[in-house]
Amino acid sequence: MMKSIKKISPHFVLLLYVAVILYPFVFVILSSFKTNNQEIQSNPWGLPNVFTFSNYSEVWVKGKISVYFFNSLYLSLAAAVCGVILAAMMSFAITRMKFTKSSKWLYQFILVGMLIPGNALFIAQYILVADMGILGTHWALFLPYTAGAIPLSVLLVSAFMKAIPSEIEEAAVIDGLSAGGMFVRIILPLTVPALVTVFIVNFLGNWNEFLLSNFFLSKDSLKTLPTGMAGFRDAFQTNYALVCTGIIYSVVPVFILYAVLQEKIIAGLTAGSVKG
Amino acid sequence: MNKALRNPAIYILFIVPSLILYFLFFIYPLITSVYYGFTDWDGLNNPQFVGFDNFVKLFEDADFLHSILNNIYFICFSVGIQVPLIILFALLIGSVKRFQRLYKTTVFLPSILSTSVIGILWGFIYDPDMGLLNRFLGLFGVDTIYWLSDEKTAFLSILITNAWQWMGFYIVLVLAAILAIPKELTEAAAIDGATGFQQATKITVPLIMPIISVVIMLSIAGAMRVVDIVIVMTKGGPAGSTDVMASYMVSRAFSYGQYGYGTTIALIIFVFSLVLTALYQIAFNRKASEGVEY
Repeated sequence: MMKSIKKISPHFVLLLYVAVILYPFVFVILSSFKTNNQEIQSNPWGLPNVFTFSNYSEVWVKGKISVYFFNSLYLSLAAAVCGVILAAMMSFAITRMKFTKSSKWLYQFILVGMLIPGNALFIAQYILVADMGILGTHWALFLPYTAGAIPLSVLLVSAFMKAIPSEIEEAAVIDGLSAGGMFVRIILPLTVPALVTVFIVNFLGNWNEFLLSNFFLSKDSLKTLPTGMAGFRDAFQTNYALVCTGIIYSVVPVFILYAVLQEKIIAGLTAGSVKG
Repeated sequence: MNKALRNPAIYILFIVPSLILYFLFFIYPLITSVYYGFTDWDGLNNPQFVGFDNFVKLFEDADFLHSILNNIYFICFSVGIQVPLIILFALLIGSVKRFQRLYKTTVFLPSILSTSVIGILWGFIYDPDMGLLNRFLGLFGVDTIYWLSDEKTAFLSILITNAWQWMGFYIVLVLAAILAIPKELTEAAAIDGATGFQQATKITVPLIMPIISVVIMLSIAGAMRVVDIVIVMTKGGPAGSTDVMASYMVSRAFSYGQYGYGTTIALIIFVFSLVLTALYQIAFNRKASEGVEY
Protein backbone atom coordinates (compact mmCIF):
# COMPACT_ATOMS: atom_id res chain seq x y z
CA MET A 1 0.00 0.00 0.00
CA MET A 2 2.68 2.49 1.08
CA LYS A 3 4.72 1.48 -1.88
CA SER A 4 2.01 2.19 -4.40
CA ILE A 5 1.36 5.61 -2.86
CA LYS A 6 5.04 6.35 -3.19
CA LYS A 7 4.91 5.30 -6.81
CA ILE A 8 1.91 7.41 -7.65
CA SER A 9 2.70 10.61 -5.78
CA PRO A 10 5.28 11.95 -8.30
CA HIS A 11 2.72 11.40 -11.03
CA PHE A 12 0.18 13.34 -9.05
CA VAL A 13 2.46 16.37 -8.80
CA LEU A 14 3.59 16.10 -12.40
CA LEU A 15 0.09 15.73 -13.78
CA LEU A 16 -0.85 18.85 -11.90
CA TYR A 17 2.01 20.67 -13.61
CA VAL A 18 0.99 19.29 -16.99
CA ALA A 19 -2.54 20.53 -16.33
CA VAL A 20 -1.23 24.03 -15.53
CA ILE A 21 0.68 24.01 -18.83
CA LEU A 22 -2.10 22.63 -20.98
CA TYR A 23 -5.20 24.17 -19.50
CA PRO A 24 -4.68 27.66 -20.97
CA PHE A 25 -4.53 26.06 -24.41
CA VAL A 26 -7.72 24.13 -23.79
CA PHE A 27 -9.35 27.37 -22.72
CA VAL A 28 -8.18 29.10 -25.88
CA ILE A 29 -9.39 26.29 -28.11
CA LEU A 30 -12.80 26.14 -26.44
CA SER A 31 -13.16 29.91 -26.46
CA SER A 32 -12.33 30.13 -30.14
CA PHE A 33 -15.50 28.20 -30.92
CA LYS A 34 -17.73 30.29 -28.72
CA THR A 35 -19.86 33.03 -30.19
CA ASN A 36 -19.19 35.92 -27.80
CA ASN A 37 -17.93 37.07 -24.44
CA GLN A 38 -21.17 36.26 -22.64
CA GLU A 39 -20.79 32.66 -23.56
CA ILE A 40 -17.16 32.60 -22.39
CA GLN A 41 -18.01 34.41 -19.18
CA SER A 42 -21.02 32.31 -18.26
CA ASN A 43 -19.28 29.09 -19.14
CA PRO A 44 -15.48 29.50 -19.10
CA TRP A 45 -14.57 25.88 -18.45
CA GLY A 46 -17.14 24.04 -20.52
CA LEU A 47 -17.70 23.14 -24.15
CA PRO A 48 -19.34 25.74 -26.39
CA ASN A 49 -23.09 25.42 -26.94
CA VAL A 50 -22.59 25.07 -30.67
CA PHE A 51 -19.23 24.77 -32.38
CA THR A 52 -19.05 27.86 -34.58
CA PHE A 53 -16.29 28.05 -37.12
CA SER A 54 -17.24 31.55 -38.17
CA ASN A 55 -14.53 33.02 -35.90
CA TYR A 56 -11.91 31.23 -37.93
CA SER A 57 -12.90 32.66 -41.26
CA GLU A 58 -13.56 36.08 -39.75
CA VAL A 59 -10.14 36.29 -38.12
CA TRP A 60 -8.35 34.91 -41.15
CA VAL A 61 -9.90 37.39 -43.57
CA LYS A 62 -11.04 40.45 -41.64
CA GLY A 63 -8.46 40.25 -38.88
CA LYS A 64 -5.72 40.01 -41.50
CA ILE A 65 -4.22 37.08 -39.64
CA SER A 66 -3.66 35.50 -43.05
CA VAL A 67 -1.43 38.44 -44.01
CA TYR A 68 0.59 38.23 -40.80
CA PHE A 69 0.79 34.48 -41.13
CA PHE A 70 2.33 34.51 -44.61
CA ASN A 71 4.64 37.39 -43.72
CA SER A 72 5.92 35.39 -40.75
CA LEU A 73 6.19 32.22 -42.77
CA TYR A 74 8.21 33.56 -45.65
CA LEU A 75 10.41 35.82 -43.55
CA SER A 76 11.19 33.09 -41.03
CA LEU A 77 11.87 30.55 -43.76
CA ALA A 78 14.00 32.86 -45.89
CA ALA A 79 16.11 34.11 -43.00
CA ALA A 80 16.53 30.63 -41.52
CA VAL A 81 17.56 29.13 -44.88
CA CYS A 82 20.03 31.94 -45.59
CA GLY A 83 21.40 31.72 -42.07
CA VAL A 84 22.00 28.00 -42.45
CA ILE A 85 23.70 28.36 -45.83
CA LEU A 86 25.94 31.20 -44.68
CA ALA A 87 26.84 29.39 -41.46
CA ALA A 88 27.60 26.19 -43.37
CA MET A 89 29.88 28.02 -45.81
CA MET A 90 31.71 29.83 -43.08
CA SER A 91 32.04 26.68 -40.96
CA PHE A 92 33.37 24.74 -43.93
CA ALA A 93 35.97 27.41 -44.62
CA ILE A 94 37.17 27.62 -41.04
CA THR A 95 37.09 23.95 -40.11
CA ARG A 96 38.04 22.16 -43.33
CA MET A 97 40.16 24.55 -45.37
CA LYS A 98 43.85 24.95 -44.68
CA PHE A 99 44.02 28.49 -43.38
CA THR A 100 44.23 27.45 -39.76
CA LYS A 101 45.60 30.62 -38.29
CA SER A 102 43.12 33.09 -39.66
CA SER A 103 40.34 30.56 -39.15
CA LYS A 104 41.03 30.33 -35.43
CA TRP A 105 40.97 34.08 -35.17
CA LEU A 106 37.75 34.37 -37.17
CA TYR A 107 36.04 31.76 -35.06
CA GLN A 108 36.82 33.62 -31.82
CA PHE A 109 35.73 36.87 -33.42
CA ILE A 110 32.35 35.43 -34.39
CA LEU A 111 31.79 33.94 -30.95
CA VAL A 112 32.15 37.37 -29.36
CA GLY A 113 28.70 38.00 -30.82
CA MET A 114 27.23 35.52 -28.38
CA LEU A 115 28.34 37.61 -25.41
CA ILE A 116 26.30 40.60 -26.53
CA PRO A 117 22.78 40.57 -25.12
CA GLY A 118 20.54 40.97 -28.19
CA ASN A 119 18.48 43.90 -27.01
CA ALA A 120 21.51 45.98 -26.02
CA LEU A 121 22.14 46.59 -29.73
CA PHE A 122 18.52 47.27 -30.47
CA ILE A 123 18.58 51.07 -30.78
CA ALA A 124 21.86 51.09 -32.69
CA GLN A 125 20.44 48.50 -35.09
CA TYR A 126 17.38 50.67 -35.53
CA ILE A 127 19.54 53.63 -36.46
CA LEU A 128 21.61 51.45 -38.80
CA VAL A 129 18.53 50.10 -40.54
CA ALA A 130 17.16 53.62 -40.89
CA ASP A 131 20.47 54.82 -42.36
CA MET A 132 20.46 51.95 -44.82
CA GLY A 133 17.06 53.16 -45.99
CA ILE A 134 15.33 49.85 -45.36
CA LEU A 135 13.35 50.83 -42.27
CA GLY A 136 9.74 49.78 -42.69
CA THR A 137 10.52 47.09 -45.26
CA HIS A 138 10.96 43.36 -44.78
CA TRP A 139 14.68 43.79 -45.36
CA ALA A 140 14.79 45.47 -41.96
CA LEU A 141 13.87 42.13 -40.41
CA PHE A 142 15.40 39.71 -42.90
CA LEU A 143 18.95 41.05 -42.57
CA PRO A 144 19.10 41.25 -38.75
CA TYR A 145 17.41 37.83 -38.43
CA THR A 146 19.94 36.25 -40.77
CA ALA A 147 22.86 38.05 -39.15
CA GLY A 148 21.64 37.34 -35.63
CA ALA A 149 21.69 33.61 -36.26
CA ILE A 150 25.28 33.51 -37.48
CA PRO A 151 27.26 33.17 -34.22
CA LEU A 152 25.29 30.29 -32.73
CA SER A 153 24.87 28.57 -36.11
CA VAL A 154 28.60 28.75 -36.85
CA LEU A 155 29.32 27.38 -33.37
CA LEU A 156 27.00 24.39 -33.78
CA VAL A 157 27.79 23.60 -37.41
CA SER A 158 31.56 23.88 -37.07
CA ALA A 159 31.51 21.64 -33.99
CA PHE A 160 29.83 19.06 -36.20
CA MET A 161 32.10 19.57 -39.23
CA LYS A 162 35.23 19.31 -37.15
CA ALA A 163 34.25 15.77 -36.23
CA ILE A 164 34.20 14.56 -39.85
CA PRO A 165 37.39 12.54 -40.51
CA SER A 166 39.81 14.18 -42.91
CA GLU A 167 40.37 10.97 -44.91
CA ILE A 168 37.12 11.75 -46.66
CA GLU A 169 38.52 14.88 -48.22
CA GLU A 170 41.78 13.26 -49.09
CA ALA A 171 39.85 10.72 -51.13
CA ALA A 172 37.83 13.52 -52.68
CA VAL A 173 40.93 15.47 -53.63
CA ILE A 174 42.34 12.42 -55.33
CA ASP A 175 39.10 12.16 -57.25
CA GLY A 176 39.76 15.71 -58.43
CA LEU A 177 37.07 17.62 -56.57
CA SER A 178 37.50 21.35 -56.01
CA ALA A 179 36.84 22.98 -52.63
CA GLY A 180 33.40 24.04 -53.74
CA GLY A 181 32.61 20.57 -55.01
CA MET A 182 33.82 19.06 -51.77
CA PHE A 183 31.59 21.38 -49.82
CA VAL A 184 28.46 20.68 -51.83
CA ARG A 185 28.93 16.98 -52.62
CA ILE A 186 30.63 15.67 -49.50
CA ILE A 187 30.64 17.85 -46.43
CA LEU A 188 27.13 19.31 -46.74
CA PRO A 189 25.36 15.96 -47.05
CA LEU A 190 27.27 14.68 -44.03
CA THR A 191 26.34 17.76 -42.00
CA VAL A 192 22.62 17.54 -42.63
CA PRO A 193 21.70 16.62 -39.01
CA ALA A 194 23.41 19.73 -37.65
CA LEU A 195 21.97 21.87 -40.42
CA VAL A 196 18.45 20.71 -39.62
CA THR A 197 18.95 21.52 -35.95
CA VAL A 198 20.27 24.97 -36.72
CA PHE A 199 17.49 25.57 -39.21
CA ILE A 200 14.83 24.73 -36.62
CA VAL A 201 16.40 26.90 -33.95
CA ASN A 202 16.61 29.84 -36.35
CA PHE A 203 13.15 29.31 -37.77
CA LEU A 204 11.50 29.23 -34.34
CA GLY A 205 13.48 32.25 -33.20
CA ASN A 206 12.39 34.24 -36.25
CA TRP A 207 8.80 33.03 -36.08
CA ASN A 208 8.52 34.22 -32.48
CA GLU A 209 10.59 37.40 -32.71
CA PHE A 210 8.78 40.44 -31.37
CA LEU A 211 10.96 43.45 -30.64
CA LEU A 212 12.43 44.18 -34.09
CA SER A 213 9.21 43.34 -35.84
CA ASN A 214 7.33 45.71 -33.57
CA PHE A 215 9.59 48.72 -34.03
CA PHE A 216 11.20 48.27 -37.45
CA LEU A 217 7.91 47.97 -39.31
CA SER A 218 4.97 50.30 -39.20
CA LYS A 219 2.80 49.19 -42.12
CA ASP A 220 0.12 46.80 -40.94
CA SER A 221 0.30 44.74 -44.13
CA LEU A 222 3.97 43.90 -43.47
CA LYS A 223 3.64 42.82 -39.84
CA THR A 224 4.46 39.34 -38.63
CA LEU A 225 2.31 37.22 -36.36
CA PRO A 226 3.74 38.19 -32.94
CA THR A 227 3.32 41.92 -33.54
CA GLY A 228 0.22 41.52 -35.68
CA MET A 229 -1.34 39.52 -32.87
CA ALA A 230 -0.51 42.19 -30.30
CA GLY A 231 -2.15 44.84 -32.49
CA PHE A 232 -5.04 42.52 -33.14
CA ARG A 233 -5.53 42.10 -29.40
CA ASP A 234 -5.55 45.85 -28.88
CA ALA A 235 -8.11 46.28 -31.65
CA PHE A 236 -10.43 43.45 -30.59
CA GLN A 237 -9.81 43.61 -26.86
CA THR A 238 -13.49 43.27 -26.24
CA ASN A 239 -13.89 40.12 -28.25
CA TYR A 240 -12.15 37.23 -26.57
CA ALA A 241 -13.42 34.63 -28.98
CA LEU A 242 -11.75 36.34 -31.93
CA VAL A 243 -8.45 36.92 -30.17
CA CYS A 244 -8.39 33.28 -29.05
CA THR A 245 -8.91 32.24 -32.66
CA GLY A 246 -5.97 34.43 -33.62
CA ILE A 247 -3.84 32.71 -31.02
CA ILE A 248 -4.74 29.32 -32.49
CA TYR A 249 -3.56 30.39 -35.93
CA SER A 250 -0.30 31.53 -34.47
CA VAL A 251 0.52 28.47 -32.35
CA VAL A 252 -0.78 25.64 -34.55
CA PRO A 253 2.15 25.68 -37.02
CA VAL A 254 4.58 25.52 -34.11
CA PHE A 255 2.61 22.69 -32.51
CA ILE A 256 2.67 20.73 -35.75
CA LEU A 257 6.40 21.25 -36.12
CA TYR A 258 6.84 20.21 -32.51
CA ALA A 259 4.70 17.11 -32.87
CA VAL A 260 6.83 15.89 -35.77
CA LEU A 261 10.25 17.01 -34.64
CA GLN A 262 10.07 17.27 -30.86
CA GLU A 263 13.30 15.42 -30.16
CA LYS A 264 15.18 17.47 -32.71
CA ILE A 265 13.71 20.74 -31.43
CA ILE A 266 14.46 19.98 -27.79
CA ALA A 267 17.99 18.86 -28.62
CA GLY A 268 18.63 21.88 -30.82
CA LEU A 269 17.35 24.54 -28.47
CA THR A 270 19.01 23.10 -25.40
CA ALA A 271 22.33 22.49 -27.16
CA GLY A 272 22.28 26.08 -28.35
CA SER A 273 21.78 27.48 -24.87
CA VAL A 274 24.29 25.29 -23.07
CA LYS A 275 27.08 25.86 -25.53
CA GLY A 276 26.28 29.53 -25.63
CA MET B 1 47.81 17.20 -52.25
CA ASN B 2 45.45 19.56 -50.48
CA LYS B 3 45.61 22.24 -53.13
CA ALA B 4 41.85 22.46 -53.42
CA LEU B 5 41.56 23.27 -49.74
CA ARG B 6 44.19 25.98 -50.01
CA ASN B 7 42.29 27.99 -52.58
CA PRO B 8 42.16 31.51 -51.08
CA ALA B 9 39.47 32.71 -53.47
CA ILE B 10 37.05 30.06 -52.25
CA TYR B 11 38.02 30.73 -48.64
CA ILE B 12 37.22 34.42 -48.97
CA LEU B 13 34.07 33.75 -50.94
CA PHE B 14 32.79 31.45 -48.19
CA ILE B 15 33.64 33.74 -45.33
CA VAL B 16 32.90 37.22 -46.53
CA PRO B 17 29.07 37.14 -46.70
CA SER B 18 28.77 36.01 -43.08
CA LEU B 19 31.46 38.41 -41.96
CA ILE B 20 29.80 41.39 -43.60
CA LEU B 21 26.45 40.63 -41.99
CA TYR B 22 28.07 39.92 -38.66
CA PHE B 23 30.05 43.11 -38.76
CA LEU B 24 27.07 45.14 -39.87
CA PHE B 25 24.62 43.92 -37.23
CA PHE B 26 26.90 43.12 -34.29
CA ILE B 27 30.19 44.99 -34.36
CA TYR B 28 29.10 48.20 -36.03
CA PRO B 29 26.05 48.72 -33.72
CA LEU B 30 28.30 48.00 -30.76
CA ILE B 31 30.65 50.77 -31.84
CA THR B 32 27.88 53.25 -32.64
CA SER B 33 26.18 52.41 -29.32
CA VAL B 34 29.26 53.57 -27.51
CA TYR B 35 29.21 56.74 -29.58
CA TYR B 36 25.49 57.56 -29.24
CA GLY B 37 25.52 56.70 -25.54
CA PHE B 38 27.66 59.78 -24.97
CA THR B 39 25.46 62.11 -27.02
CA ASP B 40 22.09 63.79 -26.57
CA TRP B 41 20.80 62.60 -29.94
CA ASP B 42 17.04 63.03 -30.35
CA GLY B 43 16.69 61.45 -33.77
CA LEU B 44 16.35 64.80 -35.57
CA ASN B 45 19.13 67.25 -34.77
CA ASN B 46 22.81 66.52 -34.98
CA PRO B 47 24.05 64.56 -31.98
CA GLN B 48 26.01 66.65 -29.46
CA PHE B 49 28.71 65.04 -27.38
CA VAL B 50 27.70 65.34 -23.73
CA GLY B 51 30.33 63.25 -21.95
CA PHE B 52 29.05 61.32 -18.99
CA ASP B 53 25.93 63.48 -18.60
CA ASN B 54 23.57 60.66 -19.61
CA PHE B 55 25.10 58.32 -17.08
CA VAL B 56 24.84 60.90 -14.31
CA LYS B 57 21.23 61.65 -15.26
CA LEU B 58 20.35 57.98 -15.38
CA PHE B 59 21.53 57.28 -11.89
CA GLU B 60 19.41 60.19 -10.67
CA ASP B 61 16.42 59.04 -12.72
CA ALA B 62 14.04 57.42 -10.23
CA ASP B 63 12.18 55.54 -12.99
CA PHE B 64 15.40 54.01 -14.24
CA LEU B 65 16.50 53.01 -10.76
CA HIS B 66 13.10 51.41 -10.29
CA SER B 67 13.58 49.46 -13.51
CA ILE B 68 16.95 48.18 -12.29
CA LEU B 69 15.21 47.04 -9.13
CA ASN B 70 12.70 45.14 -11.26
CA ASN B 71 15.54 43.37 -13.05
CA ILE B 72 16.96 42.45 -9.66
CA TYR B 73 13.56 41.09 -8.56
CA PHE B 74 13.50 39.17 -11.78
CA ILE B 75 16.87 37.60 -11.04
CA CYS B 76 15.91 36.80 -7.44
CA PHE B 77 12.65 35.22 -8.50
CA SER B 78 14.35 33.17 -11.23
CA VAL B 79 17.20 31.97 -9.09
CA GLY B 80 15.49 31.78 -5.71
CA ILE B 81 12.12 30.33 -6.63
CA GLN B 82 12.29 28.92 -10.14
CA VAL B 83 15.60 27.09 -9.87
CA PRO B 84 14.62 25.00 -6.81
CA LEU B 85 11.31 24.15 -8.48
CA ILE B 86 13.13 23.28 -11.70
CA ILE B 87 15.40 20.87 -9.83
CA LEU B 88 12.45 19.36 -7.98
CA PHE B 89 10.42 18.77 -11.13
CA ALA B 90 13.43 17.42 -12.99
CA LEU B 91 14.07 14.97 -10.16
CA LEU B 92 10.43 13.92 -10.19
CA ILE B 93 10.38 13.37 -13.95
CA GLY B 94 13.67 11.51 -13.69
CA SER B 95 12.25 9.24 -11.01
CA VAL B 96 9.26 7.96 -12.97
CA LYS B 97 9.30 5.43 -15.74
CA ARG B 98 5.80 5.76 -17.11
CA PHE B 99 4.87 8.92 -19.00
CA GLN B 100 8.40 10.29 -18.73
CA ARG B 101 8.44 11.34 -22.38
CA LEU B 102 4.99 12.84 -22.12
CA TYR B 103 6.02 14.98 -19.15
CA LYS B 104 9.18 16.07 -20.88
CA THR B 105 7.50 17.13 -24.12
CA THR B 106 4.64 18.87 -22.35
CA VAL B 107 6.70 20.94 -19.94
CA PHE B 108 8.98 22.01 -22.78
CA LEU B 109 6.11 23.14 -24.98
CA PRO B 110 5.63 26.77 -23.77
CA SER B 111 9.27 27.63 -24.41
CA ILE B 112 8.91 27.20 -28.18
CA LEU B 113 5.98 29.62 -28.40
CA SER B 114 6.18 33.32 -29.04
CA THR B 115 6.40 35.47 -25.92
CA SER B 116 3.96 37.84 -27.52
CA VAL B 117 1.29 35.16 -27.87
CA ILE B 118 1.95 33.93 -24.35
CA GLY B 119 1.59 37.47 -23.05
CA ILE B 120 -1.78 37.78 -24.78
CA LEU B 121 -2.88 34.38 -23.54
CA TRP B 122 -1.98 35.20 -19.94
CA GLY B 123 -3.74 38.52 -20.33
CA PHE B 124 -6.93 36.42 -20.48
CA ILE B 125 -5.97 34.42 -17.47
CA TYR B 126 -5.42 37.61 -15.48
CA ASP B 127 -8.55 39.36 -16.77
CA PRO B 128 -10.36 40.70 -13.70
CA ASP B 129 -13.88 39.68 -14.77
CA MET B 130 -13.56 36.78 -17.13
CA GLY B 131 -10.06 35.56 -16.39
CA LEU B 132 -9.48 31.98 -15.35
CA LEU B 133 -7.45 32.97 -12.31
CA ASN B 134 -10.11 35.16 -10.70
CA ARG B 135 -12.83 32.66 -11.62
CA PHE B 136 -10.80 29.98 -9.90
CA LEU B 137 -10.02 32.08 -6.81
CA GLY B 138 -13.66 33.18 -6.78
CA LEU B 139 -14.59 29.59 -5.98
CA PHE B 140 -12.82 30.14 -2.66
CA GLY B 141 -14.48 33.48 -2.08
CA VAL B 142 -11.50 35.65 -3.04
CA ASP B 143 -12.49 39.14 -4.24
CA THR B 144 -11.72 40.38 -7.73
CA ILE B 145 -8.01 41.11 -8.13
CA TYR B 146 -6.88 43.51 -10.86
CA TRP B 147 -3.74 41.54 -11.59
CA LEU B 148 -2.20 43.61 -14.37
CA SER B 149 -3.57 47.03 -13.50
CA ASP B 150 -2.67 47.02 -9.82
CA GLU B 151 0.88 48.11 -9.05
CA LYS B 152 1.11 45.54 -6.26
CA THR B 153 0.42 42.52 -8.43
CA ALA B 154 1.40 43.58 -11.96
CA PHE B 155 5.07 42.66 -11.79
CA LEU B 156 4.40 39.43 -9.94
CA SER B 157 1.93 38.50 -12.69
CA ILE B 158 4.67 39.00 -15.27
CA LEU B 159 7.12 36.92 -13.23
CA ILE B 160 4.64 34.06 -13.03
CA THR B 161 3.95 34.17 -16.76
CA ASN B 162 7.65 34.15 -17.48
CA ALA B 163 8.15 31.20 -15.13
CA TRP B 164 5.33 29.35 -16.88
CA GLN B 165 7.01 29.92 -20.23
CA TRP B 166 10.60 29.06 -19.35
CA MET B 167 10.67 26.59 -16.47
CA GLY B 168 10.07 23.61 -18.73
CA PHE B 169 13.06 24.49 -20.86
CA TYR B 170 15.38 24.36 -17.86
CA ILE B 171 13.67 21.27 -16.46
CA VAL B 172 14.55 19.46 -19.67
CA LEU B 173 18.18 20.64 -19.41
CA VAL B 174 18.48 19.37 -15.84
CA LEU B 175 16.58 16.18 -16.66
CA ALA B 176 19.09 15.33 -19.40
CA ALA B 177 21.89 15.59 -16.84
CA ILE B 178 19.99 13.45 -14.34
CA LEU B 179 19.34 10.74 -16.91
CA ALA B 180 23.03 10.73 -17.83
CA ILE B 181 24.04 9.63 -14.33
CA PRO B 182 24.85 5.91 -14.36
CA LYS B 183 22.07 3.90 -12.71
CA GLU B 184 24.59 1.95 -10.60
CA LEU B 185 25.23 4.95 -8.38
CA THR B 186 21.69 5.36 -7.13
CA GLU B 187 21.17 1.61 -7.09
CA ALA B 188 24.21 1.15 -4.87
CA ALA B 189 22.92 3.87 -2.55
CA ALA B 190 19.53 2.20 -2.43
CA ILE B 191 21.16 -1.09 -1.43
CA ASP B 192 22.99 0.77 1.33
CA GLY B 193 19.58 1.83 2.58
CA ALA B 194 19.42 5.44 1.31
CA THR B 195 15.89 6.72 0.95
CA GLY B 196 14.71 8.34 -2.25
CA PHE B 197 15.18 11.75 -0.66
CA GLN B 198 18.73 10.93 0.43
CA GLN B 199 19.59 9.59 -3.02
CA ALA B 200 18.35 12.83 -4.54
CA THR B 201 20.14 15.21 -2.18
CA LYS B 202 23.32 13.25 -1.56
CA ILE B 203 23.98 11.76 -4.97
CA THR B 204 21.93 13.18 -7.82
CA VAL B 205 22.01 16.88 -6.97
CA PRO B 206 25.78 17.04 -6.28
CA LEU B 207 26.40 15.26 -9.57
CA ILE B 208 24.28 17.69 -11.57
CA MET B 209 25.76 20.82 -10.00
CA PRO B 210 27.47 21.85 -13.26
CA ILE B 211 24.20 21.95 -15.16
CA ILE B 212 22.43 23.69 -12.27
CA SER B 213 25.10 26.31 -12.48
CA VAL B 214 24.47 26.70 -16.21
CA VAL B 215 20.76 27.08 -15.49
CA ILE B 216 21.44 29.79 -12.92
CA MET B 217 23.67 31.64 -15.36
CA LEU B 218 21.14 31.39 -18.16
CA SER B 219 18.43 32.60 -15.78
CA ILE B 220 20.49 35.64 -14.84
CA ALA B 221 21.26 36.40 -18.47
CA GLY B 222 17.59 35.91 -19.35
CA ALA B 223 16.48 38.23 -16.55
CA MET B 224 18.86 40.93 -17.80
CA ARG B 225 17.51 40.89 -21.33
CA VAL B 226 13.83 40.44 -20.58
CA VAL B 227 11.70 42.90 -22.51
CA ASP B 228 9.01 41.61 -24.86
CA ILE B 229 6.83 40.07 -22.17
CA VAL B 230 6.70 43.40 -20.35
CA ILE B 231 5.85 45.32 -23.51
CA VAL B 232 3.11 42.89 -24.49
CA MET B 233 1.53 42.45 -21.06
CA THR B 234 1.68 45.87 -19.43
CA LYS B 235 3.73 48.22 -21.67
CA GLY B 236 5.65 48.97 -18.48
CA GLY B 237 2.56 50.18 -16.66
CA PRO B 238 0.70 50.84 -14.49
CA ALA B 239 2.64 54.09 -14.07
CA GLY B 240 5.97 52.56 -15.05
CA SER B 241 5.84 50.10 -12.17
CA THR B 242 6.67 47.06 -14.31
CA ASP B 243 9.36 48.64 -16.48
CA VAL B 244 12.61 46.71 -16.65
CA MET B 245 15.82 48.26 -17.96
CA ALA B 246 15.30 47.11 -21.54
CA SER B 247 11.66 48.18 -21.73
CA TYR B 248 12.56 51.54 -20.20
CA MET B 249 15.27 51.87 -22.84
CA VAL B 250 12.76 51.15 -25.61
CA SER B 251 10.20 53.60 -24.29
CA ARG B 252 12.80 56.36 -23.84
CA ALA B 253 14.01 55.94 -27.40
CA PHE B 254 10.78 55.30 -29.24
CA SER B 255 8.16 57.17 -27.21
CA TYR B 256 10.28 60.16 -26.20
CA GLY B 257 12.80 60.23 -29.04
CA GLN B 258 15.69 60.20 -26.57
CA TYR B 259 17.93 57.95 -28.65
CA GLY B 260 21.13 59.06 -26.95
CA TYR B 261 19.71 58.49 -23.50
CA GLY B 262 18.23 55.14 -24.52
CA THR B 263 21.56 54.00 -25.94
CA THR B 264 23.22 54.83 -22.63
CA ILE B 265 20.78 52.41 -20.99
CA ALA B 266 21.76 49.82 -23.61
CA LEU B 267 25.41 50.26 -22.65
CA ILE B 268 24.55 49.83 -18.98
CA ILE B 269 22.60 46.63 -19.72
CA PHE B 270 25.56 45.36 -21.70
CA VAL B 271 28.06 46.13 -18.95
CA PHE B 272 25.85 44.72 -16.18
CA SER B 273 25.37 41.47 -18.11
CA LEU B 274 29.08 41.11 -18.72
CA VAL B 275 29.95 41.82 -15.10
CA LEU B 276 27.32 39.44 -13.73
CA THR B 277 28.34 36.58 -16.01
CA ALA B 278 32.01 37.21 -15.33
CA LEU B 279 31.49 37.29 -11.56
CA TYR B 280 29.46 34.14 -11.72
CA GLN B 281 32.04 32.40 -13.90
CA ILE B 282 34.85 33.33 -11.52
CA ALA B 283 32.91 32.28 -8.44
CA PHE B 284 31.69 29.07 -9.93
CA ASN B 285 34.27 27.85 -12.40
CA ARG B 286 36.71 27.00 -9.65
CA LYS B 287 34.27 24.35 -8.55
CA ALA B 288 33.23 23.29 -12.03
CA SER B 289 36.78 22.82 -13.26
CA GLU B 290 37.19 20.05 -10.72
CA GLY B 291 34.71 18.26 -12.94
CA VAL B 292 32.48 15.33 -12.33
CA GLU B 293 33.76 11.83 -12.71
CA TYR B 294 31.59 8.82 -12.31
